[in-house]
Amino acid sequence: MIFSSIFFLYVFLPITLLIYFLMPKPGRNVVLLIVSLIFYAWGEPIYIFLMIFSIVFNYLTGIELEYYQETGDWKKERFCFWLSVAVNLGLLGFFKYYGFFMENLNAILPFQIPYKELPLPIGISFYTFQTLSYVIDVYRGNVRAQRNLISFGLYVSMFPQLIAGPIVQYSDIEKQLKKRKTSLTRFGEGTTWFLRGLGKKVLLANNIGMAFDTIVAMPTNELSVVTAWIGCLAYTMQIYYDFSGYSDMAIGLGKMFGFEFMKNFDYPYISKSITEFWRRWHISLGSWFREYVYIPLGGNRVSLPKCIRNIFVVWILTGFWHGAEWNFMLWGLYYGILLFLEKYVLKGVMEKLPGFLKHIYTMFFVMTGWVFFFSGSMGKAFSYLGAMFGMNGAGFIDATARYYLKSNFWILLFASICATPVIYRGFRSFAFSKGKYKVGISVFVYGGILILSTAYLVNATYNPFLYFRF
Amino acid sequence: MIKVVEGIKYACILAVFVFIGSMLYGETSSKAVIDDVEAAVTAAMDLSGMEKASNRMIKRLYGLNANDYEGAVLYISTFNMDVEELLIVKLKDKSQGETVRAAAEQRKETQLTNFDGYGVEQCKLLNDSVLDVRGNYVLFVVSPDASEAEDIFLDSL
Repeated sequence: MIFSSIFFLYVFLPITLLIYFLMPKPGRNVVLLIVSLIFYAWGEPIYIFLMIFSIVFNYLTGIELEYYQETGDWKKERFCFWLSVAVNLGLLGFFKYYGFFMENLNAILPFQIPYKELPLPIGISFYTFQTLSYVIDVYRGNVRAQRNLISFGLYVSMFPQLIAGPIVQYSDIEKQLKKRKTSLTRFGEGTTWFLRGLGKKVLLANNIGMAFDTIVAMPTNELSVVTAWIGCLAYTMQIYYDFSGYSDMAIGLGKMFGFEFMKNFDYPYISKSITEFWRRWHISLGSWFREYVYIPLGGNRVSLPKCIRNIFVVWILTGFWHGAEWNFMLWGLYYGILLFLEKYVLKGVMEKLPGFLKHIYTMFFVMTGWVFFFSGSMGKAFSYLGAMFGMNGAGFIDATARYYLKSNFWILLFASICATPVIYRGFRSFAFSKGKYKVGISVFVYGGILILSTAYLVNATYNPFLYFRF
Repeated sequence: MIKVVEGIKYACILAVFVFIGSMLYGETSSKAVIDDVEAAVTAAMDLSGMEKASNRMIKRLYGLNANDYEGAVLYISTFNMDVEELLIVKLKDKSQGETVRAAAEQRKETQLTNFDGYGVEQCKLLNDSVLDVRGNYVLFVVSPDASEAEDIFLDSL
């Protein structure tokens, strides 16, 4: 089930909210847990077993870890911790990377090993990172083990952020699992977050995505430079509105149920460096890697070679987390190199550059980076990059480019402007300033988003969020 | 107490191994060529009033990029008021099965919405449609011959 579907908007969500708010407070976690498991089982009836395993296994691990800490049995505590890490990563690795590993092994072996690739359980990359965050935090003594299985089950499976994040760290949500505040104001705030996300996904991402889909389906040797860049720009906008739209909807749903999730996007395309971009893009993933990989490796408080090693470890893992393909590894490495250069080589130069040049530099590398991300293989990525830089001999601009430019100019321009805080901040200061009709206008705008999105969804084809594949 | 916790934990690990094992040795992928499956299924159906659609139509009606799959074939009605359709998709890997299934379900819902209230026969055909995900193949068929088409589809894999 996806948030941007008629069934979710007009059946699943209203029923869930109704039951949730009719239920006395002590029973609300049970309602949310059951609803979350139904939500997951809707698309993954078989893999619900894996989800329940993950809940029970990590719940018991937490209790065990705490017991060994209290009894001072450090050897058993260490074993219990590493077993848990191995099981969690083993499951993620098996479902996500087994096929990739076998494919590459078969490519180098003189004989073929038969293997069967299993479908990827949806959201496994996200909920595994959440369970790992819990186990690591209990092991470090940062949090107490959760004794309530319902609360822990809810932490792992909570449907607003189950499929594509934000990745919620246990320490951030521990108290809210026990006690959280729901109010009409917070509910209203959640609704506006949700509707903004819906609009981003349905009105912007899906429409811009159509241009990208048709361009990327064309043979790359026929793409002129301008067509290839329009395709890349379309994907740049599509992935931002698609993923940040999902995150906004998740945050909004969380607020409706009384939870506060961390912000996952903060206008990444206004960044003036790659470092800044990654502080603004998929913030919860960046925080997870910083907290559980980069800092434990020593962060930047170690010798230079080790610090460089840490940067590359984190970024290769980030790339690999996104998918079992070499192009994702390369994408991670690409950012590792850029961040290393910004930190140790270009720092002085960057400081002297005027703001707009820094912005152009950032967007150039971000857009180029998306090519590795959207291409199914390294070969396709380099072939598309060749088209972007005129190396395929298809010329600079042609009739196709003019057509796509003409037919997508306004939506791409609008999307580019909305990717900056200008419009939203303007709207906020307008809506929250004193005035007779301002509340009415706000309701009209958000109501309009809902009606327009519904109109689009009624006749829409299935259009899942891009990040579902991870 | 802690022994019980440990015991349940190891039982969980064992259960997950059994689960993965059963999935690995369960349904396997078909090596059948999509052209052969298409030929077999279309032979079992009355295709008068239907025509083979382009990849662009697959994208338009189902939101699926044919290039993302090993193969995809779509037959649609030539007349706007008919709902007969046949979609066969050979997946590159089985993880794509859910996407194709959801796309077919969405298509069915859209068509039901379009014909709701006046297209009684069309709605009946849509409600009797067959959606079958078998290993690396997906079949979606809206036709009076849907059931026969499904049997032939399964035989051809």
